[in-house]
Amino acid sequence: MTGLPILEIKKISKSYGAVKAVNNVSLHVDRGEIAGLIGPNGSGKSTFFDCSTGLQKPDSGTVKLDGQDITGWSLNRIAREGRMLRSFQKTVVFKALDVEENLVIAGQMFTFPSLLSTFGIGRMSKQRISGLRDRARELIKMAGLWDVRHQPAGNLSGGQQKLIQFASMLMPEPKIILLDEPMAGINPKIIERVIETILYANKSLGVSFLVIEHNIDVVTSICQRVVVLDQGRKLVEGLPHDIVQDQRVREAYLGG
Amino acid sequence: MSLAKAAQQEHRRDLRIPLAAILVVVALAAPFIGSRYVTHSLIIALIFMLPAHGLNLLVGYTGLLSLAQAAFFGIGAYTAGLLAVNYGTPFYMNAAAAGLLAGACALPLGVPALRLRATSFVMCTLGFVIIGQAIAKNWISVTRGDMGLSAIPKPHFALGPLSFTVSGTTSFYYMALAIGALSTLAVWMIVRSPAGRNMIAIRENETLAESLGVPTWRYKLIVFIISAIFAGVGGSLYVHYLTVVSPLTFQMYYSTTMLIIVLGGGAGTISGVVFGSLLFVGLTEALRITPELRMVAYGLCLLVLVFWFKKGFAPVINRFWDTIGGTK
Repeated sequence: MTGLPILEIKKISKSYGAVKAVNNVSLHVDRGEIAGLIGPNGSGKSTFFDCSTGLQKPDSGTVKLDGQDITGWSLNRIAREGRMLRSFQKTVVFKALDVEENLVIAGQMFTFPSLLSTFGIGRMSKQRISGLRDRARELIKMAGLWDVRHQPAGNLSGGQQKLIQFASMLMPEPKIILLDEPMAGINPKIIERVIETILYANKSLGVSFLVIEHNIDVVTSICQRVVVLDQGRKLVEGLPHDIVQDQRVREAYLGG
Repeated sequence: MSLAKAAQQEHRRDLRIPLAAILVVVALAAPFIGSRYVTHSLIIALIFMLPAHGLNLLVGYTGLLSLAQAAFFGIGAYTAGLLAVNYGTPFYMNAAAAGLLAGACALPLGVPALRLRATSFVMCTLGFVIIGQAIAKNWISVTRGDMGLSAIPKPHFALGPLSFTVSGTTSFYYMALAIGALSTLAVWMIVRSPAGRNMIAIRENETLAESLGVPTWRYKLIVFIISAIFAGVGGSLYVHYLTVVSPLTFQMYYSTTMLIIVLGGGAGTISGVVFGSLLFVGLTEALRITPELRMVAYGLCLLVLVFWFKKGFAPVINRFWDTIGGTK
Protein backbone atom coordinates (compact mmCIF):
# COMPACT_ATOMS: atom_id res chain seq x y z
CA MET A 1 0.00 0.00 0.00
CA THR A 2 1.45 3.27 -1.09
CA GLY A 3 0.47 6.34 0.83
CA LEU A 4 -0.22 8.14 -2.42
CA PRO A 5 -3.81 9.32 -2.81
CA ILE A 6 -5.77 7.66 -5.61
CA LEU A 7 -6.93 11.04 -6.86
CA GLU A 8 -5.03 14.26 -6.35
CA ILE A 9 -6.38 17.48 -7.78
CA LYS A 10 -4.29 20.62 -7.45
CA LYS A 11 -5.38 24.22 -7.86
CA ILE A 12 -8.11 23.73 -10.42
CA SER A 13 -9.68 26.93 -11.79
CA LYS A 14 -12.41 27.40 -14.34
CA SER A 15 -14.06 30.65 -15.41
CA TYR A 16 -17.00 31.43 -17.63
CA GLY A 17 -16.37 34.99 -18.76
CA ALA A 18 -16.02 37.04 -15.60
CA VAL A 19 -17.53 34.36 -13.37
CA LYS A 20 -15.03 32.19 -11.58
CA ALA A 21 -17.00 28.98 -11.25
CA VAL A 22 -14.10 27.14 -9.65
CA ASN A 23 -11.31 29.12 -8.06
CA ASN A 24 -8.06 27.43 -7.15
CA VAL A 25 -9.56 24.33 -5.58
CA SER A 26 -7.37 21.45 -4.44
CA LEU A 27 -8.72 18.14 -3.23
CA HIS A 28 -7.56 14.59 -2.81
CA VAL A 29 -9.17 11.22 -2.28
CA ASP A 30 -7.20 8.57 -0.44
CA ARG A 31 -7.13 4.94 -1.53
CA GLY A 32 -10.24 3.17 -0.28
CA GLU A 33 -11.79 6.37 1.01
CA ILE A 34 -15.29 7.71 0.53
CA ALA A 35 -14.93 11.48 0.41
CA GLY A 36 -17.80 13.92 0.25
CA LEU A 37 -18.08 17.19 -1.61
CA ILE A 38 -20.81 19.53 -0.45
CA GLY A 39 -21.75 23.16 -0.81
CA PRO A 40 -24.73 25.37 -1.61
CA ASN A 41 -26.18 25.50 -5.13
CA GLY A 42 -23.88 27.23 -7.56
CA SER A 43 -20.81 26.71 -5.42
CA GLY A 44 -19.01 25.03 -8.32
CA LYS A 45 -19.28 21.38 -7.34
CA SER A 46 -20.46 20.12 -10.71
CA THR A 47 -18.01 22.26 -12.65
CA PHE A 48 -15.28 20.91 -10.44
CA PHE A 49 -16.42 17.36 -11.28
CA ASP A 50 -16.55 18.15 -15.00
CA CYS A 51 -13.02 19.56 -14.91
CA SER A 52 -11.70 16.57 -13.02
CA THR A 53 -13.24 13.96 -15.33
CA GLY A 54 -12.43 15.51 -18.70
CA LEU A 55 -15.93 16.66 -19.63
CA GLN A 56 -14.57 20.22 -19.47
CA LYS A 57 -11.04 21.50 -19.64
CA PRO A 58 -9.87 23.44 -16.56
CA ASP A 59 -8.20 26.83 -17.19
CA SER A 60 -5.40 25.84 -14.86
CA GLY A 61 -4.47 23.18 -12.34
CA THR A 62 -3.57 19.52 -12.52
CA VAL A 63 -5.37 16.22 -12.01
CA LYS A 64 -3.39 13.19 -10.94
CA LEU A 65 -4.96 9.76 -10.93
CA ASP A 66 -3.04 6.98 -9.24
CA GLY A 67 0.16 8.98 -9.60
CA GLN A 68 -0.38 9.67 -13.31
CA ASP A 69 -0.99 13.16 -14.66
CA ILE A 70 -4.29 12.99 -16.56
CA THR A 71 -4.90 16.73 -16.97
CA GLY A 72 -6.38 17.40 -20.40
CA TRP A 73 -7.40 13.78 -21.09
CA SER A 74 -10.81 13.33 -22.65
CA LEU A 75 -13.76 11.94 -20.70
CA ASN A 76 -13.62 8.60 -22.53
CA ARG A 77 -9.89 8.20 -22.06
CA ILE A 78 -10.07 8.93 -18.35
CA ALA A 79 -12.77 6.28 -18.04
CA ARG A 80 -11.07 3.73 -20.29
CA GLU A 81 -7.43 4.09 -19.34
CA GLY A 82 -7.70 5.68 -15.92
CA ARG A 83 -10.67 3.63 -14.73
CA MET A 84 -12.14 6.69 -13.09
CA LEU A 85 -15.86 6.63 -13.73
CA ARG A 86 -18.43 9.31 -13.09
CA SER A 87 -22.18 9.60 -12.86
CA PHE A 88 -24.36 12.49 -13.92
CA GLN A 89 -26.79 14.49 -11.87
CA LYS A 90 -29.76 13.65 -14.03
CA THR A 91 -30.03 9.89 -14.03
CA VAL A 92 -28.51 8.68 -17.24
CA VAL A 93 -29.08 5.25 -18.72
CA PHE A 94 -29.55 4.03 -22.28
CA LYS A 95 -33.33 4.24 -22.06
CA ALA A 96 -34.19 2.22 -25.16
CA LEU A 97 -31.89 -0.67 -24.24
CA ASP A 98 -32.63 -3.32 -21.66
CA VAL A 99 -30.87 -3.44 -18.32
CA GLU A 100 -28.45 -6.19 -19.29
CA GLU A 101 -27.44 -4.40 -22.52
CA ASN A 102 -26.79 -1.25 -20.49
CA LEU A 103 -24.27 -3.11 -18.37
CA VAL A 104 -22.66 -4.99 -21.25
CA ILE A 105 -22.03 -1.70 -23.08
CA ALA A 106 -20.51 -0.27 -19.92
CA GLY A 107 -17.97 -3.08 -19.82
CA GLN A 108 -17.10 -3.39 -23.50
CA MET A 109 -14.32 -0.87 -23.83
CA PHE A 110 -12.47 -2.50 -20.96
CA THR A 111 -12.40 -6.04 -22.33
CA PHE A 112 -11.48 -5.31 -25.94
CA PRO A 113 -7.84 -4.49 -26.53
CA SER A 114 -8.43 -2.02 -29.34
CA LEU A 115 -11.17 -0.12 -31.07
CA LEU A 116 -10.81 -2.17 -34.25
CA SER A 117 -11.08 -5.42 -32.32
CA THR A 118 -14.61 -4.42 -31.33
CA PHE A 119 -15.65 -4.92 -34.95
CA GLY A 120 -14.80 -8.63 -34.82
CA ILE A 121 -17.46 -11.24 -34.26
CA GLY A 122 -15.09 -14.21 -33.96
CA ARG A 123 -14.83 -16.69 -31.09
CA MET A 124 -12.59 -14.40 -29.03
CA SER A 125 -15.15 -11.67 -29.28
CA LYS A 126 -17.97 -14.01 -28.29
CA GLN A 127 -16.03 -15.21 -25.26
CA ARG A 128 -15.33 -11.66 -24.15
CA ILE A 129 -18.98 -10.73 -24.47
CA SER A 130 -20.20 -13.79 -22.61
CA GLY A 131 -17.72 -12.96 -19.84
CA LEU A 132 -19.19 -9.48 -19.72
CA ARG A 133 -22.69 -10.92 -19.63
CA ASP A 134 -21.81 -13.08 -16.62
CA ARG A 135 -20.38 -10.11 -14.79
CA ALA A 136 -23.38 -7.99 -15.76
CA ARG A 137 -25.75 -10.61 -14.33
CA GLU A 138 -23.81 -10.74 -11.07
CA LEU A 139 -24.03 -6.98 -10.68
CA ILE A 140 -27.69 -6.98 -11.69
CA LYS A 141 -28.39 -9.47 -8.92
CA MET A 142 -26.41 -7.40 -6.46
CA ALA A 143 -28.36 -4.29 -7.39
CA GLY A 144 -31.64 -6.16 -7.01
CA LEU A 145 -32.65 -5.70 -10.64
CA TRP A 146 -32.79 -9.38 -11.62
CA ASP A 147 -36.54 -9.43 -12.34
CA VAL A 148 -36.40 -6.46 -14.66
CA ARG A 149 -33.15 -7.27 -16.46
CA HIS A 150 -34.80 -7.70 -19.85
CA GLN A 151 -36.88 -4.54 -19.64
CA PRO A 152 -35.92 -1.30 -21.39
CA ALA A 153 -34.16 0.84 -18.79
CA GLY A 154 -36.39 3.80 -19.66
CA ASN A 155 -39.46 1.90 -18.39
CA LEU A 156 -38.08 1.65 -14.88
CA SER A 157 -38.39 4.11 -12.00
CA GLY A 158 -35.87 6.87 -11.40
CA GLY A 159 -34.43 4.99 -8.46
CA GLN A 160 -34.00 1.81 -10.44
CA GLN A 161 -32.30 3.79 -13.20
CA LYS A 162 -29.86 5.14 -10.62
CA LEU A 163 -29.08 1.58 -9.63
CA ILE A 164 -28.52 0.63 -13.28
CA GLN A 165 -26.19 3.57 -13.70
CA PHE A 166 -24.39 2.58 -10.56
CA ALA A 167 -24.04 -1.06 -11.58
CA SER A 168 -22.83 0.07 -15.03
CA MET A 169 -20.01 2.02 -13.43
CA LEU A 170 -18.91 -1.09 -11.56
CA MET A 171 -18.62 -3.14 -14.78
CA PRO A 172 -15.08 -1.99 -15.64
CA GLU A 173 -13.64 -2.67 -12.15
CA PRO A 174 -13.05 1.03 -11.51
CA LYS A 175 -10.41 2.47 -9.21
CA ILE A 176 -12.55 5.41 -8.22
CA ILE A 177 -16.07 6.60 -8.90
CA LEU A 178 -17.27 10.19 -8.79
CA LEU A 179 -20.96 10.42 -7.97
CA ASP A 180 -22.87 13.60 -8.75
CA GLU A 181 -25.86 13.71 -6.37
CA PRO A 182 -26.66 10.00 -6.38
CA MET A 183 -29.65 10.43 -4.05
CA ALA A 184 -31.38 13.33 -5.78
CA GLY A 185 -35.05 12.66 -6.44
CA ILE A 186 -35.28 9.05 -5.39
CA ASN A 187 -37.42 7.55 -2.66
CA PRO A 188 -35.97 6.60 0.77
CA LYS A 189 -36.21 2.86 0.12
CA ILE A 190 -33.93 3.13 -2.88
CA ILE A 191 -31.63 5.51 -1.00
CA GLU A 192 -30.89 2.68 1.40
CA ARG A 193 -30.17 0.35 -1.48
CA VAL A 194 -27.84 2.85 -3.14
CA ILE A 195 -25.99 3.32 0.17
CA GLU A 196 -25.67 -0.44 0.49
CA THR A 197 -24.21 -0.77 -3.00
CA ILE A 198 -21.78 2.10 -2.43
CA LEU A 199 -20.55 0.50 0.79
CA TYR A 200 -20.35 -2.91 -0.88
CA ALA A 201 -18.30 -1.51 -3.77
CA ASN A 202 -16.08 0.31 -1.31
CA LYS A 203 -15.51 -2.55 1.16
CA SER A 204 -15.57 -5.59 -1.09
CA LEU A 205 -14.34 -4.25 -4.42
CA GLY A 206 -11.97 -1.62 -3.05
CA VAL A 207 -13.45 1.26 -5.02
CA SER A 208 -12.75 4.78 -3.75
CA PHE A 209 -15.45 7.42 -3.99
CA LEU A 210 -15.92 11.13 -4.26
CA VAL A 211 -19.56 12.00 -3.72
CA ILE A 212 -21.45 15.22 -4.27
CA GLU A 213 -24.58 15.02 -2.15
CA HIS A 214 -27.12 17.38 -0.68
CA ASN A 215 -28.64 14.88 1.71
CA ILE A 216 -26.52 15.61 4.79
CA ASP A 217 -27.59 12.43 6.59
CA VAL A 218 -26.23 10.35 3.73
CA VAL A 219 -23.00 12.33 3.73
CA THR A 220 -22.42 11.88 7.45
CA SER A 221 -23.25 8.19 7.31
CA ILE A 222 -20.99 7.15 4.42
CA CYS A 223 -18.25 9.76 4.04
CA GLN A 224 -15.02 9.62 5.99
CA ARG A 225 -14.05 13.16 5.10
CA VAL A 226 -15.95 16.10 3.68
CA VAL A 227 -14.85 19.08 1.61
CA VAL A 228 -17.08 22.14 1.46
CA LEU A 229 -17.14 24.47 -1.52
CA ASP A 230 -18.60 27.96 -1.46
CA GLN A 231 -18.64 30.40 -4.37
CA GLY A 232 -16.04 28.41 -6.26
CA ARG A 233 -13.58 28.22 -3.37
CA LYS A 234 -12.76 25.55 -0.87
CA LEU A 235 -14.27 26.74 2.40
CA VAL A 236 -13.32 24.02 4.82
CA GLU A 237 -12.41 20.35 4.99
CA GLY A 238 -12.77 17.86 7.80
CA LEU A 239 -14.68 15.05 9.49
CA PRO A 240 -18.41 14.98 8.66
CA HIS A 241 -19.47 15.71 12.24
CA ASP A 242 -17.18 18.70 12.61
CA ILE A 243 -18.32 20.04 9.25
CA VAL A 244 -21.98 19.92 10.22
CA GLN A 245 -21.23 21.98 13.32
CA ASP A 246 -18.89 24.41 11.56
CA GLN A 247 -20.09 28.00 11.77
CA ARG A 248 -18.69 28.99 8.36
CA VAL A 249 -20.52 26.10 6.67
CA ARG A 250 -23.79 27.08 8.31
CA GLU A 251 -23.35 30.65 7.17
CA ALA A 252 -22.55 29.55 3.64
CA TYR A 253 -25.76 27.55 3.44
CA LEU A 254 -27.95 30.06 5.19
CA GLY A 255 -26.32 33.35 4.29
CA GLY A 256 -26.44 32.76 0.52
CA MET B 1 -57.72 -31.96 -29.85
CA SER B 2 -54.56 -30.94 -28.03
CA LEU B 3 -52.57 -32.91 -30.55
CA ALA B 4 -54.21 -31.01 -33.37
CA LYS B 5 -53.46 -27.78 -31.59
CA ALA B 6 -49.87 -28.78 -31.12
CA ALA B 7 -49.66 -29.77 -34.75
CA GLN B 8 -51.11 -26.42 -35.71
CA GLN B 9 -48.55 -24.63 -33.57
CA GLU B 10 -45.81 -26.74 -35.05
CA HIS B 11 -47.15 -25.83 -38.44
CA ARG B 12 -47.16 -22.12 -37.57
CA ARG B 13 -43.66 -22.21 -36.24
CA ASP B 14 -42.44 -23.72 -39.49
CA LEU B 15 -43.75 -20.89 -41.63
CA ARG B 16 -40.71 -18.64 -41.33
CA ILE B 17 -38.30 -21.04 -42.96
CA PRO B 18 -40.55 -21.83 -45.94
CA LEU B 19 -41.20 -18.13 -46.46
CA ALA B 20 -37.50 -17.35 -46.36
CA ALA B 21 -36.92 -20.19 -48.83
CA ILE B 22 -39.64 -18.81 -51.11
CA LEU B 23 -38.09 -15.34 -50.96
CA VAL B 24 -34.70 -16.78 -51.90
CA VAL B 25 -36.23 -18.71 -54.79
CA VAL B 26 -38.14 -15.64 -55.96
CA ALA B 27 -34.95 -13.57 -55.77
CA LEU B 28 -33.09 -16.17 -57.78
CA ALA B 29 -35.85 -16.73 -60.32
CA ALA B 30 -36.89 -13.07 -60.65
CA PRO B 31 -35.38 -12.49 -64.13
CA PHE B 32 -37.45 -15.39 -65.45
CA ILE B 33 -40.65 -14.45 -63.64
CA GLY B 34 -40.94 -10.79 -64.52
CA SER B 35 -40.24 -8.81 -67.63
CA ARG B 36 -36.85 -7.35 -68.48
CA TYR B 37 -38.06 -4.07 -67.11
CA VAL B 38 -38.78 -5.65 -63.74
CA THR B 39 -35.28 -7.11 -63.72
CA HIS B 40 -33.88 -3.68 -64.56
CA SER B 41 -35.84 -2.11 -61.69
CA LEU B 42 -34.58 -4.75 -59.29
CA ILE B 43 -31.00 -4.10 -60.38
CA ILE B 44 -31.37 -0.40 -59.66
CA ALA B 45 -32.89 -1.26 -56.28
CA LEU B 46 -29.97 -3.57 -55.47
CA ILE B 47 -27.47 -0.90 -56.52
CA PHE B 48 -29.07 1.71 -54.26
CA MET B 49 -29.25 -0.77 -51.43
CA LEU B 50 -25.48 -0.48 -50.98
CA PRO B 51 -25.25 3.24 -50.20
CA ALA B 52 -28.45 2.84 -48.18
CA HIS B 53 -26.87 0.09 -46.07
CA GLY B 54 -23.90 2.38 -45.44
CA LEU B 55 -26.16 5.31 -44.60
CA ASN B 56 -28.15 3.12 -42.23
CA LEU B 57 -25.01 2.40 -40.22
CA LEU B 58 -24.53 6.14 -39.93
CA VAL B 59 -28.11 7.37 -39.48
CA GLY B 60 -29.87 4.34 -38.07
CA TYR B 61 -27.24 2.88 -35.80
CA THR B 62 -24.91 5.76 -34.89
CA GLY B 63 -27.49 8.54 -35.06
CA LEU B 64 -25.65 10.86 -37.45
CA LEU B 65 -27.70 12.42 -40.21
CA SER B 66 -25.68 12.75 -43.41
CA LEU B 67 -26.57 13.98 -46.89
CA ALA B 68 -23.12 13.22 -48.30
CA GLN B 69 -23.93 9.73 -49.51
CA ALA B 70 -24.47 10.85 -53.13
CA ALA B 71 -21.01 12.42 -53.11
CA PHE B 72 -19.36 9.12 -52.17
CA PHE B 73 -21.61 7.32 -54.62
CA GLY B 74 -20.41 9.72 -57.33
CA ILE B 75 -16.76 9.36 -56.32
CA GLY B 76 -17.14 5.59 -56.60
CA ALA B 77 -18.89 5.87 -59.97
CA TYR B 78 -16.21 8.14 -61.43
CA THR B 79 -13.35 6.07 -59.99
CA ALA B 80 -14.68 2.83 -61.47
CA GLY B 81 -15.66 4.52 -64.74
CA LEU B 82 -12.27 6.17 -65.26
CA LEU B 83 -10.39 2.97 -64.45
CA ALA B 84 -12.55 0.93 -66.82
CA VAL B 85 -12.36 3.45 -69.67
CA ASN B 86 -8.67 4.33 -69.37
CA TYR B 87 -7.11 1.09 -68.21
CA GLY B 88 -9.65 -1.62 -68.91
CA THR B 89 -9.20 -3.06 -65.43
CA PRO B 90 -11.47 -5.91 -64.29
CA PHE B 91 -14.63 -5.09 -62.39
CA TYR B 92 -13.59 -6.31 -58.96
CA MET B 93 -10.56 -4.02 -59.07
CA ASN B 94 -12.72 -1.06 -60.08
CA ALA B 95 -15.22 -1.81 -57.33
CA ALA B 96 -12.47 -2.15 -54.72
CA ALA B 97 -10.80 1.06 -55.89
CA ALA B 98 -14.15 2.86 -55.86
CA GLY B 99 -14.82 1.76 -52.28
CA LEU B 100 -11.32 2.60 -51.12
CA LEU B 101 -11.20 6.02 -52.73
CA ALA B 102 -14.65 6.94 -51.41
CA GLY B 103 -13.51 5.80 -47.95
CA ALA B 104 -10.25 7.72 -48.31
CA CYS B 105 -12.18 10.89 -49.21
CA ALA B 106 -14.42 10.41 -46.18
CA LEU B 107 -11.44 10.62 -43.84
CA PRO B 108 -10.37 14.25 -44.51
CA LEU B 109 -14.02 15.29 -44.83
CA GLY B 110 -15.09 13.56 -41.65
CA VAL B 111 -12.29 14.83 -39.43
CA PRO B 112 -13.45 18.46 -39.45
CA ALA B 113 -17.14 17.80 -40.16
CA LEU B 114 -17.70 15.37 -37.27
CA ARG B 115 -16.51 18.01 -34.82
CA LEU B 116 -19.57 20.08 -35.69
CA ARG B 117 -22.96 19.97 -34.03
CA ALA B 118 -25.64 17.80 -35.60
CA THR B 119 -27.29 20.49 -37.73
CA SER B 120 -24.01 22.00 -38.90
CA PHE B 121 -22.83 18.51 -39.77
CA VAL B 122 -25.85 17.99 -42.01
CA MET B 123 -25.16 21.29 -43.81
CA CYS B 124 -21.52 20.33 -44.17
CA THR B 125 -22.37 16.97 -45.75
CA LEU B 126 -24.70 18.79 -48.13
CA GLY B 127 -21.67 20.84 -49.14
CA PHE B 128 -19.73 17.69 -50.07
CA VAL B 129 -22.29 16.82 -52.74
CA ILE B 130 -22.17 20.31 -54.23
CA ILE B 131 -18.36 20.37 -54.22
CA GLY B 132 -18.27 16.89 -55.75
CA GLN B 133 -20.51 18.00 -58.56
CA ALA B 134 -18.42 21.13 -59.14
CA ILE B 135 -15.26 19.05 -59.41
CA ALA B 136 -16.88 16.55 -61.77
CA LYS B 137 -18.09 19.45 -63.93
CA ASN B 138 -14.91 21.49 -64.01
CA TRP B 139 -12.02 19.02 -63.93
CA ILE B 140 -12.54 18.57 -67.63
CA SER B 141 -9.18 16.98 -68.49
CA VAL B 142 -10.10 14.00 -66.33
CA THR B 143 -13.87 13.89 -66.05
CA ARG B 144 -14.74 15.39 -69.44
CA GLY B 145 -16.95 17.89 -67.61
CA ASP B 146 -20.65 17.99 -68.40
CA MET B 147 -20.24 15.44 -71.17
CA GLY B 148 -19.41 12.84 -68.56
CA LEU B 149 -17.91 9.46 -69.25
CA SER B 150 -19.53 7.14 -71.72
CA ALA B 151 -18.98 3.77 -73.33
CA ILE B 152 -17.90 2.31 -70.02
CA PRO B 153 -17.46 -1.40 -70.61
CA LYS B 154 -19.79 -3.91 -68.98
CA PRO B 155 -18.14 -5.50 -65.94
CA HIS B 156 -15.64 -8.15 -66.80
CA PHE B 157 -13.73 -10.50 -64.58
CA ALA B 158 -10.27 -11.71 -65.46
CA LEU B 159 -8.34 -14.37 -63.61
CA GLY B 160 -5.28 -15.47 -65.52
CA PRO B 161 -6.41 -16.90 -68.84
CA LEU B 162 -10.05 -16.98 -67.76
CA SER B 163 -12.18 -13.97 -68.49
CA PHE B 164 -15.86 -13.37 -68.30
CA THR B 165 -18.00 -10.39 -69.17
CA VAL B 166 -21.31 -9.68 -67.47
CA SER B 167 -23.14 -8.39 -70.52
CA GLY B 168 -26.84 -9.21 -70.25
CA THR B 169 -29.40 -7.79 -67.87
CA THR B 170 -30.00 -11.20 -66.33
CA SER B 171 -26.36 -11.90 -65.57
CA PHE B 172 -25.93 -8.37 -64.21
CA TYR B 173 -28.89 -9.01 -61.96
CA TYR B 174 -27.19 -12.05 -60.45
CA MET B 175 -23.99 -10.13 -59.92
CA ALA B 176 -25.87 -7.28 -58.22
CA LEU B 177 -27.81 -9.83 -56.15
CA ALA B 178 -24.60 -11.48 -54.97
CA ILE B 179 -23.02 -8.13 -54.07
CA GLY B 180 -26.23 -7.01 -52.38
CA ALA B 181 -26.33 -10.21 -50.32
CA LEU B 182 -22.69 -9.84 -49.36
CA SER B 183 -23.15 -6.23 -48.31
CA THR B 184 -26.19 -7.17 -46.25
CA LEU B 185 -24.12 -9.85 -44.55
CA ALA B 186 -21.35 -7.31 -43.92
CA VAL B 187 -23.78 -4.89 -42.26
CA TRP B 188 -25.21 -7.70 -40.19
CA MET B 189 -21.73 -8.61 -38.97
CA ILE B 190 -20.88 -5.00 -38.09
CA VAL B 191 -24.16 -4.51 -36.27
CA ARG B 192 -23.82 -7.75 -34.34
CA SER B 193 -20.27 -6.97 -33.22
CA PRO B 194 -19.49 -5.13 -29.97
CA ALA B 195 -18.76 -2.10 -32.14
CA GLY B 196 -22.38 -2.22 -33.32
CA ARG B 197 -23.48 -2.06 -29.68
CA ASN B 198 -21.20 0.93 -29.14
CA MET B 199 -22.69 2.63 -32.19
CA ILE B 200 -26.16 2.22 -30.71
CA ALA B 201 -24.84 3.56 -27.40
CA ILE B 202 -23.59 6.67 -29.22
CA ARG B 203 -26.97 7.11 -30.89
CA GLU B 204 -28.84 6.69 -27.60
CA ASN B 205 -26.70 9.00 -25.47
CA GLU B 206 -23.32 10.22 -26.61
CA THR B 207 -22.16 11.74 -23.32
CA LEU B 208 -23.08 8.61 -21.40
CA ALA B 209 -21.24 6.43 -23.93
CA GLU B 210 -18.24 8.71 -23.62
CA SER B 211 -18.33 8.49 -19.82
CA LEU B 212 -18.22 4.70 -20.10
CA GLY B 213 -14.98 4.83 -22.06
CA VAL B 214 -16.37 4.69 -25.61
CA PRO B 215 -14.21 6.87 -27.88
CA THR B 216 -17.28 8.27 -29.62
CA TRP B 217 -15.48 10.56 -32.03
CA ARG B 218 -13.28 7.81 -33.42
CA TYR B 219 -16.26 5.50 -33.81
CA LYS B 220 -18.18 8.15 -35.68
CA LEU B 221 -15.24 8.69 -38.02
CA ILE B 222 -14.85 4.96 -38.68
CA VAL B 223 -18.57 4.52 -39.36
CA PHE B 224 -18.52 7.58 -41.63
CA ILE B 225 -15.70 5.95 -43.62
CA ILE B 226 -17.42 2.56 -43.73
CA SER B 227 -20.64 4.15 -44.97
CA ALA B 228 -18.65 5.94 -47.70
CA ILE B 229 -17.06 2.64 -48.75
CA PHE B 230 -20.51 1.10 -49.18
CA ALA B 231 -21.57 4.10 -51.28
CA GLY B 232 -18.40 3.92 -53.38
CA VAL B 233 -18.91 0.26 -54.21
CA GLY B 234 -22.53 1.04 -55.05
CA GLY B 235 -21.33 3.78 -57.38
CA SER B 236 -19.05 1.34 -59.20
CA LEU B 237 -21.97 -1.00 -59.79
CA TYR B 238 -24.06 1.90 -61.00
CA VAL B 239 -21.55 3.10 -63.57
CA HIS B 240 -20.90 -0.38 -64.91
CA TYR B 241 -24.59 -1.00 -65.27
CA LEU B 242 -25.55 2.25 -66.99
CA THR B 243 -22.21 2.48 -68.87
CA VAL B 244 -22.36 6.27 -68.56
CA VAL B 245 -21.73 8.70 -65.73
CA SER B 246 -22.20 12.47 -65.56
CA PRO B 247 -21.80 15.17 -62.91
CA LEU B 248 -25.52 14.66 -62.25
CA THR B 249 -24.58 11.58 -60.23
CA PHE B 250 -23.61 14.09 -57.54
CA GLN B 251 -27.12 15.27 -56.86
CA MET B 252 -29.15 15.82 -53.76
CA TYR B 253 -31.96 13.74 -55.25
CA TYR B 254 -29.79 10.66 -54.80
CA SER B 255 -28.85 11.55 -51.24
CA THR B 256 -32.48 12.07 -50.34
CA THR B 257 -33.48 8.84 -52.09
CA MET B 258 -30.95 6.94 -49.99
CA LEU B 259 -32.20 8.70 -46.88
CA ILE B 260 -35.81 7.85 -47.73
CA ILE B 261 -34.83 4.20 -48.17
CA VAL B 262 -33.30 4.19 -44.70
CA LEU B 263 -35.94 6.23 -42.86
CA GLY B 264 -38.85 4.77 -44.79
CA GLY B 265 -37.64 1.22 -44.56
CA GLY B 266 -36.78 1.55 -40.89
CA ALA B 267 -33.64 3.23 -39.58
CA GLY B 268 -31.51 0.94 -37.47
CA THR B 269 -32.85 -2.24 -39.04
CA ILE B 270 -31.37 -4.32 -41.85
CA SER B 271 -34.62 -5.77 -43.16
CA GLY B 272 -36.00 -2.24 -43.37
CA VAL B 273 -33.24 -1.13 -45.71
CA VAL B 274 -33.66 -4.18 -47.96
CA PHE B 275 -37.40 -3.61 -48.09
CA GLY B 276 -36.97 0.15 -48.50
CA SER B 277 -34.63 -0.30 -51.46
CA LEU B 278 -37.12 -2.53 -53.21
CA LEU B 279 -40.03 -0.27 -52.47
CA PHE B 280 -38.63 3.19 -53.06
CA VAL B 281 -36.18 2.53 -55.87
CA GLY B 282 -37.77 -0.51 -57.46
CA LEU B 283 -41.15 1.14 -57.40
CA THR B 284 -40.09 4.51 -58.77
CA GLU B 285 -38.03 2.78 -61.40
CA ALA B 286 -40.99 0.62 -62.36
CA LEU B 287 -43.23 3.69 -62.41
CA ARG B 288 -41.01 5.37 -65.00
CA ILE B 289 -43.42 3.88 -67.54
CA THR B 290 -45.97 6.47 -66.42
CA PRO B 291 -43.87 9.55 -65.71
CA GLU B 292 -46.90 11.70 -64.83
CA LEU B 293 -48.02 9.32 -62.11
CA ARG B 294 -44.57 8.49 -60.88
CA MET B 295 -43.87 11.45 -58.66
CA VAL B 296 -47.46 11.45 -57.42
CA ALA B 297 -47.14 7.83 -56.33
CA TYR B 298 -43.79 8.58 -54.77
CA GLY B 299 -45.22 11.53 -52.88
CA LEU B 300 -48.16 9.46 -51.70
CA CYS B 301 -45.78 6.83 -50.41
CA LEU B 302 -43.96 9.45 -48.37
CA LEU B 303 -47.21 10.82 -46.97
CA VAL B 304 -48.38 7.35 -45.95
CA LEU B 305 -45.01 6.87 -44.34
CA VAL B 306 -45.04 10.07 -42.36
CA PHE B 307 -48.56 9.56 -41.08
CA TRP B 308 -48.81 5.84 -40.45
CA PHE B 309 -45.32 4.41 -40.33
CA LYS B 310 -43.28 6.84 -38.30
CA LYS B 311 -40.58 4.28 -37.65
CA GLY B 312 -40.59 2.99 -41.21
CA PHE B 313 -41.85 -0.37 -42.34
CA ALA B 314 -39.45 -2.42 -40.23
CA PRO B 315 -41.78 -2.74 -37.21
CA VAL B 316 -44.52 -4.03 -39.52
CA ILE B 317 -42.14 -6.53 -41.11
CA ASN B 318 -40.96 -7.67 -37.69
CA ARG B 319 -44.51 -8.09 -36.41
CA PHE B 320 -45.42 -10.08 -39.50
CA TRP B 321 -42.31 -12.21 -39.06
CA ASP B 322 -43.18 -12.89 -35.41
CA THR B 323 -46.77 -13.71 -36.32
CA ILE B 324 -45.93 -16.30 -38.91
CA GLY B 325 -43.30 -17.62 -36.55
CA GLY B 326 -46.05 -18.29 -34.00
CA THR B 327 -44.41 -16.15 -31.35
CA LYS B 328 -47.57 -14.17 -30.78
